[in-house]
Amino acid sequence: MSDLKKTLPTEYMVLNMGPSHPVTHGTVKFLVTLDGETIVDFVVDIGYLHRGFEKMCENSTWEQVFPYTDRLNYVPPMINNVGYALAVEKLLGIDVPERNKYIRVIASELSRISDHLTNVAASGLELGAFTAFLYFVEARELVWDMLESLCGARLTSNYVRIGGLKNDLPEDFKDQTTAVFKRCRELWSDVDKLLTKNRIFIDRVRDVGIMPPDEAIAWGFTGPCLRASGVPYDVRKANPYLVYDRMDFEIPIGEKGDNFDRYLVRMEEIIQSMRIVEQALKEIPSGPINVDMPEYRWQSKDDIYNKIESLIFHFKTVTEGIKPPPGEVYFAVEGTNGELGFYLVSDGRGKPYKCRVRPPCFPLTAAMPRMIKGSLIADVVPTFDMINMIGGECDR
Amino acid sequence: MSYELNYTIGSIPLEKLKPKKVRKNIELTLWERLYIPEIVRGMIITTRHFVQNMAGFIFPPNGKKRRVFTVYYPEEKLTIPIAYRGRPVLVMREDGTERCVACGLCESICPAFAISIVGGERRRENEMERYPVTYTLDMSRCVYCGFCEEVCPKEAIAMSDEYEELAERDRNRMIYPKEKLLVSEKRLKNRIDYVRKIYSKNNYNAK
Repeated sequence: MSDLKKTLPTEYMVLNMGPSHPVTHGTVKFLVTLDGETIVDFVVDIGYLHRGFEKMCENSTWEQVFPYTDRLNYVPPMINNVGYALAVEKLLGIDVPERNKYIRVIASELSRISDHLTNVAASGLELGAFTAFLYFVEARELVWDMLESLCGARLTSNYVRIGGLKNDLPEDFKDQTTAVFKRCRELWSDVDKLLTKNRIFIDRVRDVGIMPPDEAIAWGFTGPCLRASGVPYDVRKANPYLVYDRMDFEIPIGEKGDNFDRYLVRMEEIIQSMRIVEQALKEIPSGPINVDMPEYRWQSKDDIYNKIESLIFHFKTVTEGIKPPPGEVYFAVEGTNGELGFYLVSDGRGKPYKCRVRPPCFPLTAAMPRMIKGSLIADVVPTFDMINMIGGECDR
Repeated sequence: MSYELNYTIGSIPLEKLKPKKVRKNIELTLWERLYIPEIVRGMIITTRHFVQNMAGFIFPPNGKKRRVFTVYYPEEKLTIPIAYRGRPVLVMREDGTERCVACGLCESICPAFAISIVGGERRRENEMERYPVTYTLDMSRCVYCGFCEEVCPKEAIAMSDEYEELAERDRNRMIYPKEKLLVSEKRLKNRIDYVRKIYSKNNYNAK
């Protein structure tokens, strides 16, 4: 064999995967150096979806940032809305009404369900399981129908406001949730039966892309990928915001940190999120959803139509924007891929001085070479799927 | 090899974190490794879906034409919820004039800078009133966020339920003038009522 290697030397081959490869779910490029089929070097090239989110925020008022946050991680846009709104509210030092908090939790968890469904479905699709994709996309369609009846759009939700929400829950939301979750659970168990014990699927994902817990922490992992390594870190438990401390849910953790663990963690999180939504809908109090602070939340239409001083103040707040006190703040929520943080700086004027986002999938993408070196070229597909890098969030 | 669970988060006890191990029974049994029975088990699931969907064409469930989820667009269309934000339109009074007074709030809040207004004055029923001489909405820029509807103090702009025929081959044709945007009050009544309801006073915290 060693003689053969001397007489038949092989050269490394450099392969460009992307930027528009079906695996990349967007635009990202890998520069893969191959020895046969083994990966010896792996370079991730991000930035193809850079839109200058942070710079755009500096040129718009605090409210106008909401439509931009929809386009960060565009599969669960509600969570971005909620994270940004909570960060601004922390900067302002205001508290929102109870009903508002519950609705925000419901919206976030529905978004999380839709994201995990998409992620598992797309991963299955890329590993050849088209049936699982069809079942989960039907479930996602049902969840998105609920979100559509809630906020008026599927993707570009623009639902949460500073100190409030766009609108209240629709009247038949509870019945709709019961019906949708019943169907979702059926589809979930079908996909679970098709994938979890499927030997073809297991052979592709098990023991691939292993990340030990200590290294995962060192790389800055959060979210399902960190939990798959066995660290029970979840912002919803570690630093509870909204009403998550009143909810009863479990943190699914893996043992090994490979792609199969990440898949299992995501599947379990779908169920846990459904539990949270059901609890929240059971406990939700009636009452207002917006704060009555005309300087921070646009006033009600009743006031604007009928009172001249309200109308004048409305003009002032809309054109100049709300004016938080000078200062800086960091607030993190549990996004679908991990800790989604917003770091805001205000200089006391109507526009953010700085709006920095901590994207959860940036550290995950950065760790791709660590996870993939030494394995085969085909392992890029499941590993990158389970990372769930979203270009809109990573590149901003 | 697997790792021991000895990571805790800060001072939070594990009982509160409620970790749940999801990786169990990972080793396939002999029965599962035989491959054929597992394929049969998978086929049972997919065949069940197939048969149920087929039967759903003959005996459709309540309120639906068939059991499968697909909607045969454009012959059939989805019923969209009242919250749906479609193409923004200007509300037209019964006499054909617009409600808009060209105050410019929608222009200033629009995050995509899609709206541009030139205001003017005219005489209507022996009173001077402001009106938009031109009201241009660039549909190639609009992001359907609904801020224009939310800030409008005159109920003059509303998000309609129209989502079709918005694509064009020429960008210049996507710049909508005022005439193309006007829609009568009657058709938008539901939406205007809905807007009044969601931004009504009882949704605001009383102090």
